[in-house]
Amino acid sequence: MSGITARSLHKSYGTIPAVDGIDLDVRSGHIFGFLGPNGAGKSTTIKILTTLIPPTSGTIEVLGIDAIKHPLEVRKRIGVVLQQPSYEPNLSVEKSLEKYGMMWDIDRKTRKERSEELIDVFDLNEIRKRKNEDLSIGQRRRVQVAREFMHEMDLLFLDEPTVGLDPTARRNLLDYLKNKVKTGLTIFYTTHVLTEAEYLCDEIAVINKGKILAVDSPNNLKNTFGQEKTITIHLSERHDNLSELLSGITDCIIDFNTGTNITIQSSKSEVVLSQILQILIENNISVEDLSAIPTTLEDIFLKMVKDSNAPNN
Amino acid sequence: MHPTIRLIVRNLTISINPGFLVWQVIFPVIYIFVAGFAYTALIKSVPFGNTTLDYPAFIASGMIGFNIMNSTLVSGIIIWNDRRHGMFEQILVGPFTRTNYILSNVYTIGIVGIISATIITAIGFPLFFKSVQFNVLTIPFLIFASIAGSILFGSIASIISTRMRSSEGFNVIINTVFLFFAFVSTAFYPASGAPEPLATAFYLNPLTYLVDIIRAGIFGTFTEFVMIEMIVLVSIAVVMFIVAIRLLTKLDL
Repeated sequence: MSGITARSLHKSYGTIPAVDGIDLDVRSGHIFGFLGPNGAGKSTTIKILTTLIPPTSGTIEVLGIDAIKHPLEVRKRIGVVLQQPSYEPNLSVEKSLEKYGMMWDIDRKTRKERSEELIDVFDLNEIRKRKNEDLSIGQRRRVQVAREFMHEMDLLFLDEPTVGLDPTARRNLLDYLKNKVKTGLTIFYTTHVLTEAEYLCDEIAVINKGKILAVDSPNNLKNTFGQEKTITIHLSERHDNLSELLSGITDCIIDFNTGTNITIQSSKSEVVLSQILQILIENNISVEDLSAIPTTLEDIFLKMVKDSNAPNN
Repeated sequence: MHPTIRLIVRNLTISINPGFLVWQVIFPVIYIFVAGFAYTALIKSVPFGNTTLDYPAFIASGMIGFNIMNSTLVSGIIIWNDRRHGMFEQILVGPFTRTNYILSNVYTIGIVGIISATIITAIGFPLFFKSVQFNVLTIPFLIFASIAGSILFGSIASIISTRMRSSEGFNVIINTVFLFFAFVSTAFYPASGAPEPLATAFYLNPLTYLVDIIRAGIFGTFTEFVMIEMIVLVSIAVVMFIVAIRLLTKLDL
């Protein structure tokens, strides 16, 4: 069964399209990353998929249910951590978890057990008696995410859940999510931290200006859009004639920096590197250090967004 | 448990706290016992319908209406806090409909209003014991007043909470509106003897109708005018309720 299937999804505010005809296929039991710059249409898409707002047009099936015709049936089976904080200011952390479980009609015994487990998993023990209004942004975010696991669900929407979390809490959460997916949960995940998306997601969609630019696994995205590598060569001493020596090399961009560092960007990096090394050896220029950095998801993301923002797009 | 009941339980849990109880109980008790007896030297008796009340009995019965009004602020505060702290959207992506949310607020107002009226009636009872005229209509009148008053003032608080965007704005408007309702009414003092424009202003205020109905129930002074006040109160409550529901239904997400 598909987690989410959306076709020709449109949402306009007046004449401004926020979501412009997107198609989505989220496989069940997978983590689907949804990336895009601010204002790209991510949160609007989440609001449509979680039935918070209706689309202007298009069709949506969530967990096999028509989300436009039967929004409540969808909401009973999903969990949602929205981008904005949500909390009851005067409730303590443990009471927040307990009451949220009650709102989902979880029996008292299960509520008690689950809240204890989540307090432990999300490292909330020290702050369990503190009121939400007295917590830091990161602590509140941890409670908000933990709270969503008080109830059973088949699909979880997480809109930038790690904002404000310290690295330990962040890694904790990501590992917890990975484990949850192993038990069959499907996750729809948005983030601006691309290393996080790379670590977590089975498939990633990039959206900008309300349109999907690409959908694939992180590796395939890198293979398809990121053949370019950055090579840095550190020379043992300064050479002022480097620019002249390497002027014949094509298919690359070379930056000579201070005269001791050369940075080369090329999609044919192996060929270019061997040509440069040959010239350096012929001219008795010794290399102290050499490194090749493959294109990261962030590079690809930035390139895609930049290309889609170009005037002819 | 039905979704609306779950939301009512949640509403009551987040609303009933020590601050709220002090506001709901201590404040009216001070008014009833301190102001009630302190002003007795100035206001010996108050004519009401075809009877005359001593001032402590007058203010104690007025405080029931005043407390119903105050308690319904809960509704506005719940909606305002839900919007401000993201719980409005969070609830609506949960297993609830907007109707569940709206009804839960209506029932919360009603419950808090009735409990509030009961508490103040119990506290004030020794003061109006002498004048009380129990009859078949006393309890229905009090229940009617509690429900109609709760819905009316709860709707007004809800309307304000859906229209305001800043905390400062919400606090200023809600305090100003409710201050007007409290003090430009017959809850604390009788309209008779007040300057003509002020006495007229008293009857532009639904709290005046509410306390008149409560007093009619307690002191057995059912007149034609009270019946008109009941019709006016219900009419305003219905209009305000419809406006509040429409605004809540259309509240942007």
